[in-house]
Amino acid sequence: MIFDFQTAALTAIGFWAAGSLLGIVGSRKPALKLPALALSAAGSLVMAGFIAIYWALLDRPPLRTLGETRLWYAALIPLVGFLVEYRWKIAWLKYYCMGLAAFFLIINLLHPDVFDKTLMPALQSPWFVPHVVVYLVGYVMLAASSVTALHNVSLQLRSKENANGESVSHYLALLGFVLLSFGLIFGALWAKEAWGHYWTWDPKETWAFLSWLAYLGYLHAYRYKIERSKLQWYLALSFVVLLICWFGVNYLPSAQNSVHTYSQS
Amino acid sequence: MVVVRRRWFQNPWEFKESALCTALAVLVGFIMQYAASGHGIPKLYLPVNAIALATFALLVLGVGLGFRNNATVKWFGGIPLGLCLIVAIAVLSLIGGVIPQSDTFTGSLVAQLGLHQIFSSWPFALTVLLFLANLGLSLSWRLVPFSMKNIQFILFHAGFWIALSCGIFGAPDLQRLVVPVEEGKANDVGYTMESEMPQKLPFSIFLKDFTLEEYPIQLFLYDPRTGRPLQDRSKASLLVRQGLKASWNGVDVQVLEVLPFALPDSNGALHPADKATGIPFVKVKITTPEGSKEEWITTGSPFFETKDAQAGELLVAVRPGTPKAFRSVVSVQNEKGAQLDATLEVNHPIDFMGWKFYQMGYDEKLGRWSQLSLIEVIRDPWLPAVYLGFFMIMAGNLLFFWNGIKQKDEVAS
Repeated sequence: MIFDFQTAALTAIGFWAAGSLLGIVGSRKPALKLPALALSAAGSLVMAGFIAIYWALLDRPPLRTLGETRLWYAALIPLVGFLVEYRWKIAWLKYYCMGLAAFFLIINLLHPDVFDKTLMPALQSPWFVPHVVVYLVGYVMLAASSVTALHNVSLQLRSKENANGESVSHYLALLGFVLLSFGLIFGALWAKEAWGHYWTWDPKETWAFLSWLAYLGYLHAYRYKIERSKLQWYLALSFVVLLICWFGVNYLPSAQNSVHTYSQS
Repeated sequence: MVVVRRRWFQNPWEFKESALCTALAVLVGFIMQYAASGHGIPKLYLPVNAIALATFALLVLGVGLGFRNNATVKWFGGIPLGLCLIVAIAVLSLIGGVIPQSDTFTGSLVAQLGLHQIFSSWPFALTVLLFLANLGLSLSWRLVPFSMKNIQFILFHAGFWIALSCGIFGAPDLQRLVVPVEEGKANDVGYTMESEMPQKLPFSIFLKDFTLEEYPIQLFLYDPRTGRPLQDRSKASLLVRQGLKASWNGVDVQVLEVLPFALPDSNGALHPADKATGIPFVKVKITTPEGSKEEWITTGSPFFETKDAQAGELLVAVRPGTPKAFRSVVSVQNEKGAQLDATLEVNHPIDFMGWKFYQMGYDEKLGRWSQLSLIEVIRDPWLPAVYLGFFMIMAGNLLFFWNGIKQKDEVAS
């Protein structure tokens, strides 16, 4: 199994690298635009195909372990880059996105998951897929928002005009927040069915609530017309809270009795 | 542009005053917590908590509508205070997200300050109360006069207000009891997680049958010195089936034969047995640099010893699979004679007279031989209100999403 993943991951990274290279080198040549995009998109397609095969082999959605969620992330985040380019004519975001996707695949290559078909009873629920997918797409949006905000910060430091970039980071954060809210509430509704109560301040829940509050705070600060340039820092850093919620919780002292640790590996 | 530095408490109040107010609330909370030697907020039960919440809601609404032009009230329902309170709630939650939460810690300063039970502590309660006041005021101004333009704001904020306030004010009314029931017997007492005092229930649960389904048994190579399994080359968990091959450094194992339910006779010869008594036996071929051998190994059961096979200094073993599903066939009856027959399973609770019944656990030492089922019964009279809040938040969010997409067009053009 693991060998198949290596091939798929390396092929995807290869496509992204080739697409990026062609895109950057040929940025002045419109004729190269389409082939560059096709190569980049092929990388995501390879990952999507791999997820489909993996799903079939496992007999369960590959959404249980952190390594499995990174697969989805790698397939989806470049798509946000392509969409932003299509919508706002901002070309650079997709390179960051493909870089991030490759980074997540490399983590998986270095720490391969155990191929485990079992799914504990608590996860066998119709809520499983919507809860995790909504969160994943939300995280993808917020990661892109954070990357955009970082880029905006760097442009500010070089005193370049960049109103468009600030709207992009804002709308990505807004959409991400909406998805976080859905993920949180889906999780609560599922928890009631599986564990008996919708909210128990389990460490993962607490951190999910914290990340939600971080973006709730952002939206209100934005609404209050706090300078948008300052908020770019905030957006760039909010993603750190999300990352702790996603990967870091397992390492915190509070996590010893969390019900959300599904992987022993 | 001339920047005029605001002085403290110069109208209109803004972030400085908000931060001060929030910090004071948190500080007072910690002092109260410490003065109460670590005891959190008192528990109010129905109907007292409902009356308190209704009074609070009316008060906020009354102040919001009656004094909507008062500068202090405006500030109290404004974004600067709201933001400071969000930060305070986030910081307190951060404490709860890092420090282990449990009521078993006592004595230390950390416990006296309520940091091990932050979500029922005074500082958290005071901050949330201020936050509800802030949110409620801003809501009152959008509610009256009502306009469809405000519907997204109202749905999201009122939903959050309802879910948060009812979740917190209603928390003491949540009843969670574990009812242990043995097969062929009935039980009408439950136990809380916190105390061992049994509590009489208004119904009794009769357990007709408990069944546990497991995933296939798993093959391991153990190092008896560390007691830990070694991972084989495929990096897969090795679910046992005929023909399975696994290899580690220097050890190759092949599964030749699997008897899922079998028992040995007095001569040691294996015979198929029924599901209730039989245990899995697996014939493995083990190849090491020293040579190869074939041997029967078994997971064992509570009534039959486990048998592993030696492979040099290591052990080849099979262990029971992880639980795939477990269910209890029960019959629930209340004092008035109402009865419900149902099957309980994880993720499939049942409802009976305002209680929800959950399949919680079983005797894990006995695994699929367990005759005992642990059923959790839960009553939460505030649940409909909290769910109403959840659905309002989701409705508000759908509108927010929609408007967000629409606004994108303006940016693009």
